[in-house]
Amino acid sequence: MTPFTREAVEPRPLEHRAFLFGGMDDFLGTAVPFVREGLEDDDRSVVVVVKGTRLEALRDHFPGCVDDMFIDADAFYDHPVRTLRSYLELVKAKDPRRVHALAEPVWQAGWSERETLEWARYESLINEVFQDTGASALCPYDTSTLPPRILEHARRTHPRLVQDGGESESRRFAPPREFSAGVDRTRVFPTPQDSEYLPLTSHDLHELRQWVGDRADRHGLPGQDAQNLVTAVNEVAANALRHGIPPVGVRLWTDGPDLFCEVGDHGYWSDFSPLAGFVPPKTALESGFGLWTVRLLVDLVEVRAGWDGTFVRMRAGR
Amino acid sequence: METLSSVRRPVRELRPGDHAWLAYSGEDEQRHVVGSFVRDGLDSDHKVIYLAGSDDVDVPGMNGVSPRPGLLTVVPLADARRPDGGFDPATVLKVLASEIAGAEDGDFPTIRVTVDMTFVLERPDGLTELLRCERQLERAVCPSTRVTAICQIDRRRLTPDARSALAASHSTFVTPNPEFSDSVLQIVRTFSPVGLSLLGELDASRHMVLDEALNAVLAASRGEEIHLDLAGLGFIDLGALNMLADVAARRSGTGPLVLDSMPVQLRTIMETVGWHMLPGLRLGSV
Repeated sequence: MTPFTREAVEPRPLEHRAFLFGGMDDFLGTAVPFVREGLEDDDRSVVVVVKGTRLEALRDHFPGCVDDMFIDADAFYDHPVRTLRSYLELVKAKDPRRVHALAEPVWQAGWSERETLEWARYESLINEVFQDTGASALCPYDTSTLPPRILEHARRTHPRLVQDGGESESRRFAPPREFSAGVDRTRVFPTPQDSEYLPLTSHDLHELRQWVGDRADRHGLPGQDAQNLVTAVNEVAANALRHGIPPVGVRLWTDGPDLFCEVGDHGYWSDFSPLAGFVPPKTALESGFGLWTVRLLVDLVEVRAGWDGTFVRMRAGR
Repeated sequence: METLSSVRRPVRELRPGDHAWLAYSGEDEQRHVVGSFVRDGLDSDHKVIYLAGSDDVDVPGMNGVSPRPGLLTVVPLADARRPDGGFDPATVLKVLASEIAGAEDGDFPTIRVTVDMTFVLERPDGLTELLRCERQLERAVCPSTRVTAICQIDRRRLTPDARSALAASHSTFVTPNPEFSDSVLQIVRTFSPVGLSLLGELDASRHMVLDEALNAVLAASRGEEIHLDLAGLGFIDLGALNMLADVAARRSGTGPLVLDSMPVQLRTIMETVGWHMLPGLRLGSV
C-alpha cells in the first residue's frame, strides 16, 4: 500500500480548540503563528473569520494573501444551522485540502439566553459535524469583553484550550450529544393561553398552509419568510400525521416581533436524538433531511419529545 | 403555447359545437390528445369520423379493441387524390361534410370529427387554402348541437402568421387531459419538452399521483431529459423534493429532472437547501 492510499483511507481527526485571549497583542501572538502554520502547509487551506478590528490587524500581517481568505465574522455568523451548513460547504469545496480556520463566533450583548445557547450548541456541534474532516479550528474568545457564562460555554464546547501561550485539555468539555441535551432541558415551554389552535385530521394540508400563511402576512413577515415558515410547518405537520399519534394540531401565537407555530401530537418520539436535524444530511434522500431543512428555514426550532407527546415549535421574526 | 383568441380546454371538456384546434409538437402529443378524443367517443357510443392518410391507418386510442360496427369511420385521404398526385382540400372537405351529414341522419347523439390539416399547409398558398377549409368546417360544426371537431396541425410547420390566423378561426385550443386534477393540484403532460406541468399546490397527500404521472412519462420517454414546468405551482413540500430526487436517482444515467419556471419563493427554498442536496435535479429556464 502506498503512503498516499493509506493517508486517504485513515480518518483525519478534527482539531477544535478555544483560544482564550485578552487584548490585541495576546490575540496576534497566537493567531499570527496559527495562520502562518496553515499557509506553510500545502495540505491546508486557510480561512480567517474574525471580527472587524482583529480582521484588519491580521490582514496587515499577511499582505500577500488573497482577499477571500478573510471573512467578516459579523456577516458569517447569522444563523447557527445555516452557518454550520456554510462551513460544511467550505470544507467540501477545499477537499482534499484540509480547512485551517481561525473562527471567532459572534456573541451579541442583546441576545436572549436562548439565542446565546443556540450559538453555544453550534460550537458544540462542530465536534460532531466535522469529526473526520481533518479540519483544524481555533476559535478566539475575548476574555476582556465576553461575560463568564460565554467563556464557560467555550470550555464546555471545545475539547482543548489555548491560553497564555500554552495548550491544555478542557476538563469541562461535554460531548455534543450531552451538551445539546442540556440546551434542550433549559427551555421554557408554556404555550400562551390565547394561542390559536387548528386541529389536523387530514393529510391534505392545504387549509393549514392557508391558515399559517394568512397569519404570517398579517403579522408582517416578509413574503419569503412567510413561505419558509409555511413550508417548515407543513413538513413538521406531515411528519406528525405520518409518525405521531392523534390528536395532532397546531398552536400559533405572536410575541413582539416573533411568530410561533407549534405542531403537537400525542406520540412519544422514543429514539429522539438531541442532535436530530442539526447534522446536515449528505443528500435529500437521507433521513433527517426534513428536520434539517426545517431548522434552516426558520429562526429557531425547539423540539420537546416527552411522555406527554411530541412538540415542535418554530419561530420566525419580523 | 401562444393561443391568442382561442380558449384553452382539455380534450375531455370539448362539447358539441366546439371547433377546436390542436397544435401538436410531434406524434406523441398528437396520438395522446387525439387518442383521448377517439377513445372517449367510442366509449360513449359517439360517432367518430377520423380523416387519415389511408384506410388501414393505426387510429390512436383504440387500444387494440375493435369498435362497435358503424361507430368509427376512417375517411382515407387517398380518396381525395387528384390525377396529378396532389390532394384537393375541397374534395376532402366534401367527403367529410357528407360523412357528417350521414351521421346526423343516423342515430348518433354526438359526432366527433378529427382531421390532420397539416397536408393543406404544405400546398402552394397553403395558409389561404387552410383557412378556406377552416371556414367551411366552422360552418358545419359551430351551429351544430351534435358535432365536435378537432383540427390537428403540426406546430413545427406553423409560421407566426399561420398561428394567429388559426387561433382566430377556432373558438377553442385543445390541450391534453390532465393526468390528475382536484381542487388543489393539477398535473398535465407536456410533450415539448417531455414532462409534466404542475399547477396549484403539491404536498404529501398528492405525492402518489405525481409519482404515477411521472412514471407514465418515464415509461413513454426515450431517455431524454424530463422537464417539470412549475410556473403555476404555489407550494411544494420538502417530501416532494425528496421524491423527485429519488425518481432522478432511479433513472441515473439518463439525464436530470429539469425544473422549469420555478416561482422565485420556491427557488429560494431550493437554494437554501443547496442544489447539491438534490442530486439529479437541475434548475431549467427561469
